Amino acid sequence: MSAEEAVEEAARLLSRAKNCLIFGFDSSTLETQAIAIELARKLGAVIDDASSFSWGTLLESLLRGVLPTCSLSEVKDNADLLIYWGSNPPHTHPRHLSKFTYYAYTDYNPAGWFPKVKLSCFEVRDTELSVMCQPVFKIKPGGDRHFIRAVLGEAPSGAKDSQSFLKMVIESHFCVIFCGAGLSYSLDGEFGPFSDMVRRFSQAIRVAVIPMVAQANLRGFSQSLYAQTQHVNQVSFGAGISHGNEFSFVEQVRKGLADCVLVVGSDPFSTLPQSLMGNLRGTSIICLDRFSTPTTTAADVVIATALPGLECGGSMARMDGDRVILVGPKKGDYPTEEEILNQLLQRIE
Amino acid sequence: MIMPEPEKGVPLVIVTYQDIYQWIARQRDGWGDSYQAQSATIRLSPADLKNLGLKDGDLVELDNEAGAVVVKTKSDPACEEGTAIMPASLYSNRLASCDPSRSRLPNLKRIEVIARPTGKGVTPLSDLLVRKTVA
Repeated sequence: MSAEEAVEEAARLLSRAKNCLIFGFDSSTLETQAIAIELARKLGAVIDDASSFSWGTLLESLLRGVLPTCSLSEVKDNADLLIYWGSNPPHTHPRHLSKFTYYAYTDYNPAGWFPKVKLSCFEVRDTELSVMCQPVFKIKPGGDRHFIRAVLGEAPSGAKDSQSFLKMVIESHFCVIFCGAGLSYSLDGEFGPFSDMVRRFSQAIRVAVIPMVAQANLRGFSQSLYAQTQHVNQVSFGAGISHGNEFSFVEQVRKGLADCVLVVGSDPFSTLPQSLMGNLRGTSIICLDRFSTPTTTAADVVIATALPGLECGGSMARMDGDRVILVGPKKGDYPTEEEILNQLLQRIE
Repeated sequence: MIMPEPEKGVPLVIVTYQDIYQWIARQRDGWGDSYQAQSATIRLSPADLKNLGLKDGDLVELDNEAGAVVVKTKSDPACEEGTAIMPASLYSNRLASCDPSRSRLPNLKRIEVIARPTGKGVTPLSDLLVRKTVA
């Protein structure tokens, strides 16, 4: 099947579908995301991304101004306490420490080469990061909520180290908490107690929260959708704008509600439970991706697209929300996601 | 003293994590042998390994309501007894579940399983791909 025929078939499947589900865009450019939202609106589709099962509630709190945040450029040389909570950047963000935080500090302790900043972390195991941290708060899997409650003085029995954590934070001047997937999953996506704790800290010192989002432009999708709908994910354009957990990708798939799924710049078949994704057997799947993945294996129509940042330009929002311009130095043979989505927009009545 | 009974299985809580070496393997070789070698592995405490009657590098079957996989063991003294560590992958996702009555998010990071010694080989990657038609 040629690319032209694949686009034609994708347009036919989307036009014919009664309940379209559009998912992904966390590795797509902001420009692609804008067209995807337009396409969802035109189709009356449900649109969602991976933030709905990761950092969604945290990102919404940041965008609504409920939680304080800052740019990564403000962190370096200004923050005197860095806390990585449920995140191990040497594995998840290999250049993060050297480019933006710990190793990027220009001022060093005269007694050695250690940067003039306190580095701490919350972990359930020993990691490459935890050996660099002092102190390390080692907690049991799923114990984060109890620890936070203990910090707030709400836990029936105080968690070990909660008071030393409180003292460490209050004695700092500018503390940045980097929230990883470990924290998000431990709290089951409910950041209420965490927000209470941060607000409590904010009364005494400057605190900023930055999500350690794993995908290149997940934050960008949340910002793009929020700007248009006031929601960061889980939006249906079926009847105006509706929002709720019933419009999450996971719930749509679990209940088998969609009859056509368009996946762009994402690989849900490798990141979500296989027992869940098996529900998509019998559902038309269209996938735009540069690589062969478990999602392209399961898809009915696969359209190869240019890789943002390498084969095409555009822009993305990094974890702190700052916009990054991508150059796209090598012109590839494939059309961009933006071009394909524009073609679909034109072909769908 | 209670003697371990490996055939009955040992309950474990698996904590998953993102592994950069697995990511590199996938970027370089795709969904092939390197990815499998980096993914089909579980790190557990020497005590759990002993309770299973296994030694470092032996294969173990992990089983729960969602599915079952066979992976290679690695002894890790840093693991607490009853807690194991596994890179997030198609292998851990076979064991992951999604039950809104228990949690809002899919259970991808704290997976309860029963581990048993096995004579089977490592689960092939092809068995872990969701395909359109059921074999």
